[in-house]
Amino acid sequence: METLLAGMAILADPKIMGLVVAGTLLGIVVGALPGISGSTTTALLLPLTVMMSPVQAIAFLGSIYCAANFGGSITAILINTPGDPSACATAFDGYPMAARGEAGRALGMSAIASAIGGIFSVFVLIVAAPMLARAAYSFGPPEYFALTVFGLSMVAAIGGDSQIKNLISACLGVLLATVGLDLTTGVERFTFGVYALSDGVEFIPVLIGLFAVSELLEQAAQRGGAVESFRLTAVKLPSLADFRKCAKAIVLSSGIGTFIGALPALGATTAAMICYNETKRWSKHKHEFGKGAIEGVAGPEAANNAAVGGAMVPTLALGIPGSATTAIILAGLIVQGVRPGPHLFNEQPTLLYTVFGSMLAANLLYLVIGLGAAKLFARLALVPPAFLWPAVFVLSVVGAYAPNQSIADVWVVLIFGAVGFLFRRFGFSPAPMIMGLVLGKLTEETLKQSLLIFDHDWSLFLGRPMVVVLFLITAAGLAAPPLARAWRAMTVRYRPELGIKD
Amino acid sequence: MPAEHPPAARGGADRLVAFAVLAFAAGVYALTYRFDDVPAALMSGLDAALFPRLVLATLAVLALLLAFGIGSPPAERPRRLPRRAWVTAGILMGFMAAVELIGMWPSSLALLIGLGRLWGERSWWKLAASAGGLVAALYLLFVRFLGGTFPRGALGMLIWP
Repeated sequence: METLLAGMAILADPKIMGLVVAGTLLGIVVGALPGISGSTTTALLLPLTVMMSPVQAIAFLGSIYCAANFGGSITAILINTPGDPSACATAFDGYPMAARGEAGRALGMSAIASAIGGIFSVFVLIVAAPMLARAAYSFGPPEYFALTVFGLSMVAAIGGDSQIKNLISACLGVLLATVGLDLTTGVERFTFGVYALSDGVEFIPVLIGLFAVSELLEQAAQRGGAVESFRLTAVKLPSLADFRKCAKAIVLSSGIGTFIGALPALGATTAAMICYNETKRWSKHKHEFGKGAIEGVAGPEAANNAAVGGAMVPTLALGIPGSATTAIILAGLIVQGVRPGPHLFNEQPTLLYTVFGSMLAANLLYLVIGLGAAKLFARLALVPPAFLWPAVFVLSVVGAYAPNQSIADVWVVLIFGAVGFLFRRFGFSPAPMIMGLVLGKLTEETLKQSLLIFDHDWSLFLGRPMVVVLFLITAAGLAAPPLARAWRAMTVRYRPELGIKD
Repeated sequence: MPAEHPPAARGGADRLVAFAVLAFAAGVYALTYRFDDVPAALMSGLDAALFPRLVLATLAVLALLLAFGIGSPPAERPRRLPRRAWVTAGILMGFMAAVELIGMWPSSLALLIGLGRLWGERSWWKLAASAGGLVAALYLLFVRFLGGTFPRGALGMLIWP
């Protein structure tokens, strides 16, 4: 309660409150633009935080993160094009609702379910993050090394559908983090004599290139068909009967979504998909799903916003990002000189109160704004690609150039835009690369510190119970999917009723 | 609708990627031998090359797994890029050259109009108005409000010294 009140007190500062309002508005607006995901939104707006103090930056980023997720559902409902991958499940029923003239009802339910899910997860964040941080306070470098390896292994679950490709992408990110001066020995690594690379690769241009510019190239490569959209003639809000019908779905999805979000690397998209299925499973109106069931909008929307707060738990308590967007937020904080982790709770509690307060305020704000201006935001979804994507590129270039006033950063944007585009074409996801880039330095530092503690004896890692547990969980997490696939293949092979010969 | 590739062709795309990753890992591994030497007495922790080499070895193992189709469903062979994608990439490169010549803001204006036209917008008026509005808004925010300085380009400096 004290923490919450402290967070609320920070919002009394008009500058912080102004940034929360601006972040929420920008998050909804940019998140509502088709094809621009929450992570792209955060990456695009990240340069603006360089000129802010850490408290202001985190208030701004926290609000964007909450609001962009909600913004993504607007396009999912109105034009069957999720603005964010986490809104895919929302489109299953949101779009059919819009098609039969109930776009306002779907948008209204989306706003309310999102706000309830989001607020619930912020309360879980307030309670769980300090507890997790206290538990992690006794961690030494070996435990942290094991934790970063665990976090990196979990990237196998995000992005593309190939575990191996996700891990390759993460390794490339870790490798990228080794560019620059090695602080232990003073040796320059992979700098090729370029002075600008001595401090390592800048996060912001890489993020913008991988997310925004690669998406622009991807859009250019698509032989686009016309997008069918439905205009809102009137914003008819959900009725009390709708809420009664959706209450169970919202409560269930808020809980599951928060839990899934808190698992490193499992984000809002997984939460929304699982909760769509769970909502359908527990619904009395299963037959309506896929044809415009309002529960099919409420469940995934509560879940994907609940996952936002959940994903902040490991990010703040351990410094291990819970999703691609929190990896970008983590990068933004590192740029500000702040490294989240258990020590943050003792050393900079103000920052944490700001996160709690700003996320809570953003959830309330987008509820009000989302309901009040749904009609206006709906129009954003109709911005033609010919105006949208060139504008995204100019924003990317200006945003990458501004922090360091360096044209080299703009080249980095272009290079990583091409890298991200090639990644997507060959089935790789850029998100694990960001995770690798963010966690790479910490992994190397903690490995070096551990080996110093152990006098270079690697076997001593196995003498630390927590390290062993984390390594075992990592191994199980990596081995489980291929083993499950092999098991399924074996059981199918021996089922004669399917007519499959051995 | 794109034609379905047979599984062998799909696996082939992954093998190509795997060999590219292996070649990259080998090349970068070789680069680690060009790091400056540090006297053993000064090396309190680890050799600067050890961690990158560990990562590269992991990368090589993962590439081999990919080559043999372990832990990864076979990927679709990427479809041919349409002309629009190549022209878009060309315009982005042209933008960088234009920044050096005429500066950031005029180049941005030209890019917004040119790319918008390429992507199907026919109305010059709409393109010019939206491009002008966006560039003006960004100029006000980043130059007037935040005090940033942006490249003016060689020609730009001659015209507006």
